Amino acid sequence: MTHQHEGDDHDHDHDHAHPHAEISEGRPGYYDIMETAVRELLIEKKLIRADEIRRQIEVLDSRSPALGATVVARAWTDPAFRARLLANGRAACEELGISFYDDTSLIVIENTDKVHNLIVCTLCSCYPRPVLGLPPDWYKAKPYRARAVVEPRAVLAEFGTIIPDDVDVRVHDSTAMVRYLVLPKRPTGTEHFSEEELAALVTRDTMIGVVPATVDVARPAP
Amino acid sequence: MDGTSKSAGSPSRVVFALGEKAIFKAGDRVRVSTRSPIGHYRVPTYLRGKSGSVEKVIEPAAIDNEEESYGRNAGSKRHYYRVAFRMSEIWPDYAGSERDGLHIEIFETWLERAER
Amino acid sequence: MTPTEKLVNRLPNDVGGLPADPIQRVEHELEPWEKRCHALADVLDFHKIINTEEKRRGVEALGAEMVVKLSYYERWIVAFANILFQKGILTPTELALKMKEVESRSSEG
Repeated sequence: MTHQHEGDDHDHDHDHAHPHAEISEGRPGYYDIMETAVRELLIEKKLIRADEIRRQIEVLDSRSPALGATVVARAWTDPAFRARLLANGRAACEELGISFYDDTSLIVIENTDKVHNLIVCTLCSCYPRPVLGLPPDWYKAKPYRARAVVEPRAVLAEFGTIIPDDVDVRVHDSTAMVRYLVLPKRPTGTEHFSEEELAALVTRDTMIGVVPATVDVARPAP
Repeated sequence: MDGTSKSAGSPSRVVFALGEKAIFKAGDRVRVSTRSPIGHYRVPTYLRGKSGSVEKVIEPAAIDNEEESYGRNAGSKRHYYRVAFRMSEIWPDYAGSERDGLHIEIFETWLERAER
Repeated sequence: MTPTEKLVNRLPNDVGGLPADPIQRVEHELEPWEKRCHALADVLDFHKIINTEEKRRGVEALGAEMVVKLSYYERWIVAFANILFQKGILTPTELALKMKEVESRSSEG
């Protein structure tokens, strides 16, 4: 197996160590070796099987914000689905074939003209993985987790999102078996968009609640 | 709550297991305990002693995740509640709207009934 | 509360409301081992060998210094090792020898 770096990697929270443990030419690093050793010992002891790990990697790879975007676009175009989604997030996602392999439940919270929602996990990194895949590093790092619950408006402003005073901000801190997904507001001027075109406007960050969905989402990354 | 119910037309008296029925209901005012467990806890320090209102009972009853963290995968179950707090209740000098709020799930044993 | 009592009472991951730096919108593609580590965590939870809550407790039990200095999945794999030792599923020697074997295997060729 080769281990290559994906470009430059000064991309971590500065109070955390380098996320890439391996530094020498393709040789696995200390923690990489530890993971292999723990896994192989557990397989030798017949406590887990190699195919379970392989399958779970496929499961993880199959989950990404594109799934969540499909859910949101359906909710924007199908009022009955939207109602079911807000009543029971997990059941509505399951209708679309999205399973909850981690046995979490899902509460979908809707952004409106009066309420803006934001999700965080102050104690660890709870995140709606079945629907969005794995969270970004900043979501797991201290600054976001520490500040989202005490100064959410300042945090949102750092993402470029200014919430007017007459809009309530609601922060959802996950601690147990419930995960949260934000249903962003449908951008104006998208009345004639197809469900697929709408889904393309829904980014991961809109479903975490740090930015609104906009029609100019297709701009290239800076 | 006496832990029993009588449904219309049913002659039998249904007895619920301990902890099976939620103690609080949506709308109830609750206060988070001020205790400080060590080892593992799932109620963040910033909420200790704060008052809020139950927004929703999370069904079904579940195992206390503080016990689960020591490998107990079974045992007595109780409810988690989604509880809503005003930011200004949690942070006295909160900068933002008086209506801004925080929502979180809290296990039943952490909650006390509050007056208001 | 004295400083040492505070250290005991406040778990290193309990950061809600603490002063913190501006958010840096960083992300990285998971390394292959990091993804395997995540899959391992899920499988360990499925079998309740190490449930998710035990994993969280195991990370907190690393203590404040390691929680800050190790990366996310580094914390996970070290916590798994510690929990497996505690449960008598693995021994420290067994893991150390296996790590040597894995290392020598990967330096061949």
